[in-house]
Amino acid sequence: MAAGKRPGLADEIRDLAKGWRWGRRSVVPRSAEPYAPPSESRAFPTAWARTAAAGAAREVILRYGLRAVVWNETSPEIHGLDNLEGLEAPVMFISNHTSHLDASLIMTSLPREWREKTAVAAAKDYFFDVWWRSAFTALVYAGFPIERGGGERATDTARELVRDGWNLVVFPEGTRSPDGWVQRFRLGAARLCIELGTPCVPIAIHGAYQAMPKGRSWPKPGRPPISVRFGRPLDPREGETHQELSRRMFQAVAELFDEDRTTWWEALRRAERGETPKLSGPSGPKWLRAWEASRPLPRRSRRAWR
Amino acid sequence: MTRPGFVLEVDERTPPLLVHEGEGFRLQKFPLGARVVYAPDPLPGIRDLPGAIRQALLNPHDSEPLPELLKPGMKLTIAFDDISLPLPPMAKPDIRQRVIEAVVELAARKGVEDLRLIVANSLHRRVTADEVKRAVGERVFRSFWPRDLYNHDAEDQDDLLYIGKTDKGEDVEINRRAAESDLIVYVNINLVAMDGGHKSVPVGLASYRSVRPHHNVHTMLHSKSYMDPREGRSAIHDSCARMGHLLRDSGIRIFTIETTLNGETFPSQFGFLNKREWEWSVKDQVMFLAAKRANDLAPARIRREVWRRIEAPYKVTGVHAGETEAVHERTLENLHRQQLVEVNGQSDVLVLGVPYLGPYNVNSIMNPILVHCLGLGYLFNMYRNKPLVRPGGAVIMFHPVPWEFHQVHHPSYVDFFEEVLSETTDPSTIESKYEQQYATDPWYIHLYRNSYAYHGVHPFYMWYWGAHALDYLGDIIVVGGDPKACARMGYRAATSFRDALEMAGETVGRSPSITYFHAPPLAIAEVR
Repeated sequence: MAAGKRPGLADEIRDLAKGWRWGRRSVVPRSAEPYAPPSESRAFPTAWARTAAAGAAREVILRYGLRAVVWNETSPEIHGLDNLEGLEAPVMFISNHTSHLDASLIMTSLPREWREKTAVAAAKDYFFDVWWRSAFTALVYAGFPIERGGGERATDTARELVRDGWNLVVFPEGTRSPDGWVQRFRLGAARLCIELGTPCVPIAIHGAYQAMPKGRSWPKPGRPPISVRFGRPLDPREGETHQELSRRMFQAVAELFDEDRTTWWEALRRAERGETPKLSGPSGPKWLRAWEASRPLPRRSRRAWR
Repeated sequence: MTRPGFVLEVDERTPPLLVHEGEGFRLQKFPLGARVVYAPDPLPGIRDLPGAIRQALLNPHDSEPLPELLKPGMKLTIAFDDISLPLPPMAKPDIRQRVIEAVVELAARKGVEDLRLIVANSLHRRVTADEVKRAVGERVFRSFWPRDLYNHDAEDQDDLLYIGKTDKGEDVEINRRAAESDLIVYVNINLVAMDGGHKSVPVGLASYRSVRPHHNVHTMLHSKSYMDPREGRSAIHDSCARMGHLLRDSGIRIFTIETTLNGETFPSQFGFLNKREWEWSVKDQVMFLAAKRANDLAPARIRREVWRRIEAPYKVTGVHAGETEAVHERTLENLHRQQLVEVNGQSDVLVLGVPYLGPYNVNSIMNPILVHCLGLGYLFNMYRNKPLVRPGGAVIMFHPVPWEFHQVHHPSYVDFFEEVLSETTDPSTIESKYEQQYATDPWYIHLYRNSYAYHGVHPFYMWYWGAHALDYLGDIIVVGGDPKACARMGYRAATSFRDALEMAGETVGRSPSITYFHAPPLAIAEVR
């Protein structure tokens, strides 16, 4: 609403529809939720999805189902998988998050030996709210529930999985970006890396917002290009705080974006000078941010040799 | 058990929140991380109210039962709170009516003949016949009005009795008829913790001479919590207590009856105003939309009339009778059950939605000085321990602050606003330079006694109520306020909440912590 302008009926209806989520599940502010002691029995069981049989089924679904669909509807380009060479599992993959395509892109672009032992952290309140969605998430993504609100028990399952040798895919922003720009990283991922001594592999996904932003359930027509760029692993340093590691993670993703837009060399030099472009988007009016975020990626010409 | 008070932390799931702004309201988005203080849910009312009143009168605290105090040939005075309480006015029957009828019934049975009822309006305007009738009920009104049921007159020198000075030198002078009675029965409604106790008789039946010792800038600045009447916390209550003790020591017998109400502030058609927003049903949302549209589109006169007619479906949560202090202690316990909310720490910015009604504009107009009193005098002070906002912090209020006065009820306010505030807004200067002149002005006294005007000194008190906040705060911004009226009072006007936060940034920094005090229904923040 413009400053000082009295809202009209349409504004009020829009505010109500948005604020009270007309047509969608109603939610309660987190701090207003009644306290319920956390109980394992209430959480959707996901251990079955990490068995050998479920793993075999997942491989078939990912390789011949999901990959076929995603690769058919969009034009992904995967870069930087060589950074995984020589790396020992388990690791934590962290990525920016703008679209429901993100988890599918990561899972289908990972080499098989990594994929078969990788689980995706999925918001408990969204992906584990009804049984069929929970089962789908657990089977297709080896998904496990994570509490967005944080707290003592939010990362219990993640901790157990890492100890069992599973790699994790975590979106530290906690939710999909509403405007395509990268939001503040929450500290849970960094805290977990430090606690478990796990390296984290940054990933920058560029173009997924343009292909299927929040609010869409299918990619836009025209096979929009998407770039998935894996970075060098970051190891937690001696005495490093989770805030510091989280800042490094954010910077690593920012450098990958810069590399994607320009070249590795230019991005490196800019990073050295502390001039990596911000991921939080341009300052200025809301329209400008949305405008810049939705700018389509340039199509790269298909060449026989590269 | 009803839900206790609650502090919400705004997150992305939080819908826009309802904010009162005078004779209107709006939905306002708050920044993520802002805290919102909600009162506890309304307590259940007493089921057998006549039984509870009877029980209180027959088994009082630290006193003989009322029937034993009533004797033939005695002089009995029943004094009761005026219409500044409760807010909004209570749906009929008013609790004062229920209690007064019970007392009168007992008096009649005991053969009391000399019985008078006095509206304890102190320096407030006289209450009209219709308003008295509404408060005491038709039966009492028809039996006693106007000869034996009337307004206290703080300027009727023949009907005032000087009692003496307290050990701190405070003059005590109260209504002669009450002072010379064998028994004063005081019937109170305790809406907030500031009311009641020794604030009833020593203030409600006092003259200007006797109100002055505690209604002054020095006392207000030393009342760090108006809502915490415990000794040493509030200078005004300490002063009232000294006066109450002097009355007691002078042989004046007071039988206090105090009542408390629950938090059901708005009737069912405005039920959404009583609820926490995320619990609004579809019906509530539709009602909000319809009420807001109708309110915004209605001509000012009709809008005011609709608000004026609102009656609160309050339920009575407690009736206690007996010795003043013993009764008040129990009253406060009841009140705290309904209003107390624990809040952790202070914030940089306090947001207040100033509603359409305060104690001094019942059936009247909320002029800018009353906005000041309600916002900075009352809402800002709804805390115990320490304010919700840090020293030097900012208050953002929502109110249109129209430059508008009720010419009959608030004549001295008009002159105060034009003459005094145009010179200075400093309470101490105002007090020393102008108070006497207004308090003793014969025309204002005439209007107070014969018309329906507040006493000439009343706008000064309204300004003093905000003295603590003015002294404490770094910035006061009013969203939607009339820029000229706000400037006159030393406030800054903003056109939107976003602008107000931007402006407050000059005082409290770019990313301030924010607390929104979501009232009414009223709450008292116990700030740790």
